[in-house]
Amino acid sequence: MGKEARMIEFSGVNKWFGPLHVLNDISLTVGKGEVVVVCGPSGSGKSTLIRCVNGLEPFQQGRLVVDGTDLSNRRALRALRMEVGFVFQSFNLYPHKTALENVTLAPIHVRGLNRTEAEARGRALLEKVGLGDKMGNYPHQLSGGQQQRVAIARSLCMQPKVMLFDEPTSALDPEMINEVLDVMVGLAREGMTMMVVTHEMGFARKVADRVIFMDRGAIVETAPPETFFTAPLHARTRDFLGKILHH
Amino acid sequence: MLGGLNTRVMLEYLPEIWQGFLSTLWLSAAGFLGAMALGVLACALAIQPLRWLRAPAVAYVDVIRATPLLAQLYFLYFGLPRLGIVLPEMLIGIIALSLNSGAYMAEIIRSGILSIPRGQVEAGMSTGLGYMQRMRLIVLPQALRATVSPVIGQTIVLVKDSSLLSLISVVELTRAGQRIAIDRFMPVEGLVATALGYLVLYYALKSAAGAWSARNALPGRG
Repeated sequence: MGKEARMIEFSGVNKWFGPLHVLNDISLTVGKGEVVVVCGPSGSGKSTLIRCVNGLEPFQQGRLVVDGTDLSNRRALRALRMEVGFVFQSFNLYPHKTALENVTLAPIHVRGLNRTEAEARGRALLEKVGLGDKMGNYPHQLSGGQQQRVAIARSLCMQPKVMLFDEPTSALDPEMINEVLDVMVGLAREGMTMMVVTHEMGFARKVADRVIFMDRGAIVETAPPETFFTAPLHARTRDFLGKILHH
Repeated sequence: MLGGLNTRVMLEYLPEIWQGFLSTLWLSAAGFLGAMALGVLACALAIQPLRWLRAPAVAYVDVIRATPLLAQLYFLYFGLPRLGIVLPEMLIGIIALSLNSGAYMAEIIRSGILSIPRGQVEAGMSTGLGYMQRMRLIVLPQALRATVSPVIGQTIVLVKDSSLLSLISVVELTRAGQRIAIDRFMPVEGLVATALGYLVLYYALKSAAGAWSARNALPGRG
């Protein structure tokens, strides 16, 4: 992969929480426009891995470069975060702001857009995620699936180059999962670079370029989805897939 | 006991009681402003990362919370002149009230800020908002909502605490009531008149709190 085509590059990244080795010698490159799904048992380090990419988690060893910025440069972090969207498991919408205000806050205060421009951009994005009629609603007036779609629009409104998703559907009732996944599939098809921590294997099959399996802080296996699901190499991967696919 | 209340004497002292009431009102207002200023400052110092700035704020809150207001009041009343600082009793009283309530206000504001989930801050960070922007746009507006009720509660305490200023000869509501007791040997009449004054202030603050939460509640949520 040429240097310009690399969006996220981990080289020998290690992180410990006290004695716990949460990221064990991670090396991984995600190219521009690539969609990478990360899965693994709980506590395997997948959330920590993705939270490193926009500097929400520091790490002790190794190098991580995102969009040409070395994460060890804490001063460059704010500029980098403008280019990297992050979607949380628990949405984290601002409860005192309407859907539209949630979406336009950062464009106005970080990008310096004027209110009219920001609102035009915000409206278009809320329409796009199917919430054109909910712009004036507060988060607590929306369902979980609607809140998560607002959260995605909030990230997109900064026009990021990369989108990170940390178990975006894990806190949702089953009937709301697809409305969120549909938005993410659309985004993937438009060519957004995405790293997605999820157990939604249907999503992985549909749009992932690669699936990564993590266990105990390390990347155990990386493969394109068809190989990953039909012919996993490692016993631990097979064991994990057996547990999540058999029902 | 109250059946035999001498309302004629109480009415006779109405001008004194009214003066005392006004005095309590403005001592409390001044104490409140001082307490909020000190509270915000002490809280800001207590939550910021530099240890040498945090230490004095924490020590201030601890010392005030550990000692009685009466002791703090006497300490200033007798201690300041020994440092060559001579101030009117009323000003000493306001300083004592401000210092005392300020420590509690600092704790109230701090717990309001700490009640905001970490995810709110992370959402702000993830879209590139800086520390001050996150505070101003995300954390403080939510923390303030959580803080108004306990701040008004502490203000009610402050109003009642201002009665201690009568002990350093500041004329306020309690002192005015004592006049009836001393001049006419009618302590109950004096105390009832005083209590009515405090009740008025209490209900004013209580309804202010109610009006504030009615106006600032998020739509569809209590």
